[in-house]
Amino acid sequence: MKLNHREENGVMIVEPKGKIMGGPESTALHDLLHDLIDQGKKNVVIDLGKVDWMNSTGLGLLISGLTTLRKSGGELKLANVTDKIQSLLTITKLVTIFKSYDSVDEAVTSF
Amino acid sequence: MKKPRLLPDGIVIPSSTDYLGDVDQFLEAQLSSAGVDRSVMTDLAISVSELVNNAIIHGNGFDNSKEVDVRFEVTGAEIRIVVCDQGSGFHLEEVDNPIEDRNLLREVGRGIFIVRNFVDEVKVSVSPSGGTCVEIVKKR
Repeated sequence: MKLNHREENGVMIVEPKGKIMGGPESTALHDLLHDLIDQGKKNVVIDLGKVDWMNSTGLGLLISGLTTLRKSGGELKLANVTDKIQSLLTITKLVTIFKSYDSVDEAVTSF
Repeated sequence: MKKPRLLPDGIVIPSSTDYLGDVDQFLEAQLSSAGVDRSVMTDLAISVSELVNNAIIHGNGFDNSKEVDVRFEVTGAEIRIVVCDQGSGFHLEEVDNPIEDRNLLREVGRGIFIVRNFVDEVKVSVSPSGGTCVEIVKKR
């Protein structure tokens, strides 16, 4: 998995690419999210458009980021959720927890 | 340190999540060459990653001297995959329900639940000599 991030209008956009399955790539995503939180970046969009799939480890990382950001007064939102990940969010009922948007622009302007 | 071993019908890895990618690559190559539909392949890739993670973390306790054995069988009607560890096992009915409200924000505990949603059969067997195997079957 590759991992990029950038800032737009004060919102951090994190762009993982590939598969999030619980190996070293998951540690990198976890560390990045928590580094951003440590830097006071409270509003984050995860662009999932280039994520082939993720498993429960990936979902756990999203929840970890979400709960930590909310505790510090921020929010984590999802953009470009693919069909397979949407299916995962639906069956795990996490669709009720995460706010998701059809594009990064929509997610950014929603803050 | 042990390394992954490729077998004619599977792959055996040491108990480290560093090797999840090796299992995924092997699975994708096998299923792709058998002409399995992309969506079915992804359901199985996710399911196998869950089972291998469980085997490494909960079965073998990250003990690198122990291994995780993954075997595949592809027929015209279904794909059968067995993931075995060298741990003491668990019972499916003991796994907490991750979609209860009190569990929704837990960071862990969804693996087997996801597997059960993505495949047609899940069976757990514990060997008297030690080790747990989880067998999954998905129709093509």
